[in-house]
Amino acid sequence: MNLTLQYHRSAGRYFAARAVSGTRAGSRLAGALAGNMAPLRLVEQPDPDLPSESWSRIEPVLSGICGSDLSLLTGRSSPYLGPLTSMPFVPGHEVIGRTLDELPGLPRGSRVVIDPVLRCAVRGVPACPACIAGQTSRCDHITTGKLSAGLQTGFCADTGGGWSRRMLAHASQLHPVPEALPDEIAVLVEPLACAIHAVRRVPINPGASVLVIGAGTVGLLTVLALRKLTAAGEVHVIAKHRHQADRALELGATNIVDSDGTVRALRRSTGALLVEPELGAGYLLGGMDLAFECTGAAVGLDTALRSLRAGGTVIASGMPSGGVDLTPLWYRELHLVGAYASAVGDEPEGGDFPEAIALARSAPLNGYVDTRYPLERWRDALDHAAAAGRLGTIKVVFAPS
Amino acid sequence: MGRPGFVLDVDERTPPLLMHEGEGFRLERLPLGSRVIYPPESLPGIVDLEGAIRHALAHPHGSDPLPELLRPGMRLTIVFDDLSLPLPPMRTPDVRQRVIEQVLEMAAAAGVDDVELIAANSLHRRMTPAELQRTVGERVFRAFHPDHLRNHDAEDPDDLAHLGTTPHGEDVEINRRAAESDLIVYVNITLTAMNGGSKSVSVGLASYASLRHHHNVHTLRHSRSFNDPPNSAMHHSYDRMADLIGGHVPVFTIETTLNNEPFPAAMRFLTRREWEWNLTDQASYLAVKRSNELVPAKLRRRIWQATEAPYGVTGVHAGAPSKVHPQTLAAVQRQQLTEVQGQADVAIFGLPYICPYNVNSIMNPILVMSLGLGYFFNLYRGKPIVRQGGVAIFYHPMPPDFHPVHHPSYIDFYELLAETTDPVMLETKYEKQFATDPWYIHLYRTSYAYHGVHPFYMWYWGAHAMQHLDDVIFVGGDRSTTARLGFRAASSLADALELARDTVGSNPQISYLHAPPMVLADVR
Amino acid sequence: MSGLRAELRLLRHGRDWRGRARVPRSAQQWKLPDNGDDFPTAWARTAAAGMVRTALQQGVLKPVTWSQTRPVVHGQEYLDSVRGPAIFVANHSSHLDTPLIVGSLPLRITKKLAVGAAADYFFDLHVLAAATTLMFNAFPVERRGSRRGRSLAAELVDDGWSLLLYPEGSRTVDGWLTGFKLGAAQLCAMKGVPAVPIALRGTFAAMPRGRRWPRPGRPQVTVRIGRPLHIRTDESVPEFRTRLARAVATLWAEDDLGWYRALRAAADDSLAVPTTSRSVLPTRAAYPRVGGQEIAAWRRVWEATRPPAEDGPRQVWTD
Repeated sequence: MNLTLQYHRSAGRYFAARAVSGTRAGSRLAGALAGNMAPLRLVEQPDPDLPSESWSRIEPVLSGICGSDLSLLTGRSSPYLGPLTSMPFVPGHEVIGRTLDELPGLPRGSRVVIDPVLRCAVRGVPACPACIAGQTSRCDHITTGKLSAGLQTGFCADTGGGWSRRMLAHASQLHPVPEALPDEIAVLVEPLACAIHAVRRVPINPGASVLVIGAGTVGLLTVLALRKLTAAGEVHVIAKHRHQADRALELGATNIVDSDGTVRALRRSTGALLVEPELGAGYLLGGMDLAFECTGAAVGLDTALRSLRAGGTVIASGMPSGGVDLTPLWYRELHLVGAYASAVGDEPEGGDFPEAIALARSAPLNGYVDTRYPLERWRDALDHAAAAGRLGTIKVVFAPS
Repeated sequence: MGRPGFVLDVDERTPPLLMHEGEGFRLERLPLGSRVIYPPESLPGIVDLEGAIRHALAHPHGSDPLPELLRPGMRLTIVFDDLSLPLPPMRTPDVRQRVIEQVLEMAAAAGVDDVELIAANSLHRRMTPAELQRTVGERVFRAFHPDHLRNHDAEDPDDLAHLGTTPHGEDVEINRRAAESDLIVYVNITLTAMNGGSKSVSVGLASYASLRHHHNVHTLRHSRSFNDPPNSAMHHSYDRMADLIGGHVPVFTIETTLNNEPFPAAMRFLTRREWEWNLTDQASYLAVKRSNELVPAKLRRRIWQATEAPYGVTGVHAGAPSKVHPQTLAAVQRQQLTEVQGQADVAIFGLPYICPYNVNSIMNPILVMSLGLGYFFNLYRGKPIVRQGGVAIFYHPMPPDFHPVHHPSYIDFYELLAETTDPVMLETKYEKQFATDPWYIHLYRTSYAYHGVHPFYMWYWGAHAMQHLDDVIFVGGDRSTTARLGFRAASSLADALELARDTVGSNPQISYLHAPPMVLADVR
Repeated sequence: MSGLRAELRLLRHGRDWRGRARVPRSAQQWKLPDNGDDFPTAWARTAAAGMVRTALQQGVLKPVTWSQTRPVVHGQEYLDSVRGPAIFVANHSSHLDTPLIVGSLPLRITKKLAVGAAADYFFDLHVLAAATTLMFNAFPVERRGSRRGRSLAAELVDDGWSLLLYPEGSRTVDGWLTGFKLGAAQLCAMKGVPAVPIALRGTFAAMPRGRRWPRPGRPQVTVRIGRPLHIRTDESVPEFRTRLARAVATLWAEDDLGWYRALRAAADDSLAVPTTSRSVLPTRAAYPRVGGQEIAAWRRVWEATRPPAEDGPRQVWTD
């Protein structure tokens, strides 16, 4: 039998969590909310059956808790994504596991990480134009084919997810992990692939000044990707907590900015003019070339829009929530660019995942995963994850087996 | 006639002594044997000030009487000291108003039409119209503002004139209108020995290009002290520049000196010697202190900032700057000089709520440092009050509050201090960036902000003290702020002395500079 | 509240209970000339305070004094000629003196009467100063030489106040007379006001220095008021001072010698008139002294406390 954490349809819980998290107190109590109000349950399920030979059962070794998972569990994610999921599903898309079935070119028991995007190739349907171009994260067939709707593993009723002892993955999703890469770092490959994907979304000129908003997993890995894959100039990072700041500097950030005085501090280093409207926060005339929004919070996007020079670019890496004043986007002629998941690319080794695995081997990512929870303690795990920054943790993971 | 200043030896019959600490004050028991440097008592002010001004203008030193210098068709520029003098602002009518009115009456009688009044605010923030009016008086203000009564703009390329370089290669660039006048009349208040003289025009009307030659770490480390002009490299530079300016445009200066009456009668106890406090003084101490602690911080600041000093004027001297200034200095020293025998291991200073740069504003931590390690530490002639390698203990709560309009560059400078507090390092790495930052320049010119480079100058003021002292401790200082500035915080004097023990041993000689009112220690 | 207490404790540190600190040794040379703090007395000369004072004097002070002693008052008739301010000068040996004189003078005079009181004694302590000022309309008099140019006494005379002064400067230690200081005479000369001599007998016996209440048994006391004296044009201030002293001595001697013999003795110059701080007994110009020695203290006191003759008709002639 397969022990799983199952997300089920519960309008009551969903709206209750959404209502509470919408309040000021509720947003501070995200941990308690995630742990107690989430429509999540621990159930024993029969082991899943293999749909075809190109699939394998996977035994997750470590499975991360992602910020988007928390948004989902606290009802903060947009209903927009509803049709792209199928209930009930098992969350968990940051997975390092072992294959339990023999696959062509991948013996049973291989250590693998999973590219969670359930694209055309996985679904067994003819490739859509995006998939043909290698832009798999943009796949249009995310609701069709043999599988139930689901934009990723972890949101689909048929594949299972990382927060269980057994799940399914298609051969095209699997990337073998070198033995030298420990589990604690391998579990970061999926988010790192996303960060690489985000950095690759726009051309970054040598010397460009970059603001990274947020220093959680996504923010830190974005800094890493910026330093390793681009010739960006100054990289300023907004970090709330000291340990995040230390890690950001270690990864090559130029400067750490306090979340209170961000615009002010950026003004100092760019020599831009700061103007202050009678209502609302000040903004720069002149400023940063690029901003990576890695928190998903509205205030983060707002900060980004206020800190960019005219013609600058915001890359939304976190799953956005809440509304933002887009006047600067219009007036400063900014670019607003989304960055979702990762892509396989149009060259064999050029995908985000192979790049991420290569990068993970050399990067100083030790200590990012410092706590593992068994599935039975999922409430504690979600509490911890919701308060990770404050508690000195970057990534909280389940160790299902 | 007031009694002269003297040095008190704290004995067992000495009552607790008053110390200023920002927007407040306290009584403190100093260890037996500590020395306390008291200023001379306040001298009587001139009763017939109008007459004294008239006499000074008609009988100037080293110059023809002012009326004879005025003629129809000439360009006359009247320049006056800005908001930074005196401290606290003096009760109206300000002595500058009284001098300017008489000068203008003479100019009117002589038929001078082209008259311009300029506040010598250098890189200080512009004075608001209300502040200008308070300084020059309603009559002058109404006649000249806004077109012909204005602030000096050190970043207006059209209104600056480069007059050349001194033999030491120092650029002299001052206000163009003043430089191209037929006569500059400078109206000064000399509150401390560093004010006035050559400084008036060469600093008050200068630009950054000119100021950087003397407002730098090197010069300030060789100005010992800058309150003793003959031994101040800074003043030597002023003198060279003033000579050059004098070759271009005649300057007629009127210097005034004040007595030691900075606080209104209700706070008389602040200027009395503690053992002479009567019951009224003690009751008002208690009442003022308690109510000061009870009012909310914002209101407290407003009340302190609304303080007007009932200063009396002790001297009015007019004429050629080089002839006038020695007399002015003598008058200042008569009021402020106290002789002290020998240096101390530990010097104690109580820092008041005001310094030259937070009039109607907020004293931020950088200004606290410049008031303490700059102004107060340098209130000496001869040798510093504290020996080389000694310890200075200051009283100030040092809250990390900044005035967002007046001190924008200070807010950013404060962030730099997390990286380094070394004046040389800051100077070489960041001064230029701040001095040329377009936003600061914009705010300096159009808002009421101090120039971007000003916080650097504040930090340089303390350069000599930082080099001289082995430890700096702030009693009652906010811990994180003090640490950011590179100093230490102590909760009480006992703690501070305990901290200082590593440096000066357990039985140090302590000197407490009992100011304000102003005192200049003549250390032998 | 504990903050306030701590603050008070700090403030009180090094100060006595009256809030005065001693001058630190090193500050001694810069000590202010000790002119203390003038206790304000002007309030006591307001109409309101005057009404309260008259009520107190007539309703409390005089009845109490008259119940504890048996005052005999002579010479009130001389006061009819006093119009406007005058300086009353009396010998002084007891705290009873002022209540007796105030009680003996007519109301029209006491309403405009201010009493000179020793600054260092009565004005030393604020409570005492306030009480003295209200009850007697007292004003501070510096007895050890003048301390500054302005004189409150002269201002008071200018304002139409009569003054009661004790030119001896202090209560005598033995009930005899001591020399007069110049101040009162000076004031008369300066302001052209008359001086009214008053002699008190028996107050030393009734309540000498150190006693706080008259001795039991209603001791008899005598208040003799003399004729107002004006300084003559050819007279110097010291001469007038001596004349005043002689007038008081004469009144003093009247108890012993009777009115006429006292006058005669004064005319003969056989009365001893004090000129220095050494006390003399007016009636005994040549009080026996042995070999120029000081008269023993007990004999002086003995003489001064001799009970006066029983009350009776005024002695004009004595046998």
